[in-house]
Amino acid sequence: MRLFLIVFGLFIATKSFSQSDTTITLQAITGLQYDLVRIAVKPLQKVTIILKNEDDMAHNLVFTKPDKRLSVVEAAIKMGDKGQAVNYVPESDDVLAASKILIPNTTQTFTFTAPSNEGAYPYVCTYPGHGYVMYGALYVTTKPLPPLATDPNIPPSRQNTEIMVSSPHPFTLEYPLLYRTFMPDCGPAAIAVALTSTHSYCFDAGKCYLRYAWAGGFVDNTAHWKGNGNAFAKIQGNIYFKDNVTYPLRVGKADKLPDVSFKGYTLANRLPTFNYALDGVDVKETLKTLANEEGLTRVFTFAKPTTQTLYFVTKSDDGITYKSSVGKWQHGTLAIPKGTSKVTLTMKRNKTQTPHAAAHSH
Amino acid sequence: MKKHPSFPQLLSFLFVGYLLFGSFNDCFAQRDTITNYYETEQIKLPKGLRAETGGMDFMPDGRLVACFHLGEVMTYNPKTKTWKKFAEGLHDPLGVVAVSNSEILVVQRPEMTRIKDTNADGVADVYETITDDFGMSGNYHEFAFGPLKDKEGNLFMALNVASNGAGIRPEIRGQYDSLSREGRMYSCVPYRGWVMKYNVKTKKLEPYASGFRSPNGLGFDAKGRLFVSDNQGDWRGTSPLYHVEKGRFYGHVASLIWQEGFPRVKPLSLPVAQLDSMRTRESIAFPHTEIAHSPTQPLLDNTGGKFGPFAGQLFIGEMDYPRLVRLLMEEVNGQLQGACVAFGDGTGLLKGNNRLVFDKNGDLWVGHNDHGWVGDEGLSRIHWKGKVPLDIIAMNLTTEGFELTFSLPVDPKIASNPELYKFQRYYYKYHQPYGSPKTDVADVAIKEVKVAPDGRKVTFKLAELKAGYVYDLKMGELQTPDGKLLMNRAVFYTLNQLKK
Repeated sequence: MRLFLIVFGLFIATKSFSQSDTTITLQAITGLQYDLVRIAVKPLQKVTIILKNEDDMAHNLVFTKPDKRLSVVEAAIKMGDKGQAVNYVPESDDVLAASKILIPNTTQTFTFTAPSNEGAYPYVCTYPGHGYVMYGALYVTTKPLPPLATDPNIPPSRQNTEIMVSSPHPFTLEYPLLYRTFMPDCGPAAIAVALTSTHSYCFDAGKCYLRYAWAGGFVDNTAHWKGNGNAFAKIQGNIYFKDNVTYPLRVGKADKLPDVSFKGYTLANRLPTFNYALDGVDVKETLKTLANEEGLTRVFTFAKPTTQTLYFVTKSDDGITYKSSVGKWQHGTLAIPKGTSKVTLTMKRNKTQTPHAAAHSH
Repeated sequence: MKKHPSFPQLLSFLFVGYLLFGSFNDCFAQRDTITNYYETEQIKLPKGLRAETGGMDFMPDGRLVACFHLGEVMTYNPKTKTWKKFAEGLHDPLGVVAVSNSEILVVQRPEMTRIKDTNADGVADVYETITDDFGMSGNYHEFAFGPLKDKEGNLFMALNVASNGAGIRPEIRGQYDSLSREGRMYSCVPYRGWVMKYNVKTKKLEPYASGFRSPNGLGFDAKGRLFVSDNQGDWRGTSPLYHVEKGRFYGHVASLIWQEGFPRVKPLSLPVAQLDSMRTRESIAFPHTEIAHSPTQPLLDNTGGKFGPFAGQLFIGEMDYPRLVRLLMEEVNGQLQGACVAFGDGTGLLKGNNRLVFDKNGDLWVGHNDHGWVGDEGLSRIHWKGKVPLDIIAMNLTTEGFELTFSLPVDPKIASNPELYKFQRYYYKYHQPYGSPKTDVADVAIKEVKVAPDGRKVTFKLAELKAGYVYDLKMGELQTPDGKLLMNRAVFYTLNQLKK
């Protein structure tokens, strides 16, 4: 169950949906592909699909029985000219649900009930010629999904990218990816970092600490970049951790907030390491994703071995299980002894969060 | 086959030409226009770039480095015409200075940043905060401009005030003060509305001068004097350019609360006359709609003549019109004041002329921007074709009027006609409302026009000269003896100081 949540970071529970329903936004995008290559739902779950055609060609979306993608695609081709009238959807027991043919910049919403049998149910565009490359997999399951890199049910070109986001820049998006932008629930000097396309965090460059982390996507800056930049960036996905202790790392006394100063960051293979000083202690902090996006590791290194005890303060109700390479925990506060040069803190998301499919929205 | 005109046809053509233009030269030549002297080329942009240009500079190796609204820093090699990414992820960067082929300085919303490529892969990997020692309320209008590097390596930047078109964020950076929270444009965190100086020796950001509103443009003149432009609005009757000196106040009142020793009073509650006496006036006022709406970056023509006859003068960008403005400054009683004249009209330049930089060949590169306002996007290059146009090189105040200097001799027969000139004067009110109409507008009678024997200078004796007014001169079609036409026939002199 937990792995399910991890692999499908995008499909975290949201309170706005009932236990049994789910809504999924799926986009047809440039390059004969859908933005999502995998969707996970539970058996007999009611599934609402919002299909958006963001490409400049016509596309549809057909869900088939397991292993029936190619036979449905070929049946659609055989329909020839007559196919257009029926949206290139062959009449077959192998078809579970289907959209119409959508012309560019149109949207269709349709609902169906997931099969009771667990399995990988292909979804595909049956517009002639598209179905050999334009597809993905609806996983009906309560179990963990196979690793993306070796998943045989998705196009090989997508075995490294769960979500394809079109780049607003004159270069392709690569991860980790970083934007300085206006973020909600953060000071105005905010940095949004995507460790992967589906695992992100917000670092406050004014207050010098990790504010929150989320799974399911990164940020949408469209509104912020429009015109004068008044709007916040929009978080895509669901926040799974929020720091509510004002400032976690403290020098000398556990109850004294430090004076902080931001020094910038360096990138190593695009992964940022933040540099800042707190009460005169120079700190470098690197945040990485845990395997399967199960949480974060935070590596703190100090310019000189520390000369005072450092404290890392947490709150017990933040949904995270902490582990540290150095020091002792007492009532949620880690005491890092003098003479420390490096601390690795692991922040693992607790299992108690009930995972189940939810929306991924753009 | 083309038909040649017969001799009588040719004769009558010349005669009609003579009647129309008063000279046989003109009926053969195309009408003399700016395209005979300057040409503008649009630079081809890489696919996917939204070219809202925030800053431009040249690296020592000749590559252009430019930053854009969506946070990219790109380089462009003019020889190979290739674009490459240098850095990304910045927050609305509005200025860049190249330090070397692998290092730049940028001002973005939250800070001044040093950006370096340390592993020689062509892409930056170090983003070092030089200073973030100023407040941010999160209001969108708190843009940050600069950096501008002086000879000692100190870095100037300018901080916009906030707009009452939006509030402030739940979380801010810096000490909140509500004293200047009222008004159209407000300053509620430190040094909003100030020009700041990052002192390279002390490594501190020092408040330098106050009284700014939207100072989207910093530059030095040939003597290293600092100029900062601002936009028409509250406390700005029309858009100004200031000669900025340490400790002075430049008129927009919100920023006064951060002045050391300033009493705990709302600046908006002070009498306008008192504020007026505290402020330093602009060196140049740009009459609204006449010449500019929204001036941007001043840039010294340091090309030594590679860009035409204007070496040593300042150009300044303009957002709302497809033009630049050229500045004719002089020192009167120890203070800088002077005139402005259009540049580039008719060269095919776009609007949104936000950033300017000269390359080694003396071509002027223009970075366009619209930023949600009037403007254009993209990059242009203005090239001087090598011939000197007839234009105004200087406008100097005399005890009795003005003296104009031209780039070429003017035809004295035409230029000595007083009917060809019309002087008007007016001023813009210093007050809280947005902008000001032209006030106390009056024609100024010309008592005498004199053309110098070499035709380079025309002097005017005027019926009256008054300090605190803009002198607006519109001219008829002056020309050189060989028929070259005057390119710009309107010039606006900001008279703060009368010549003693």
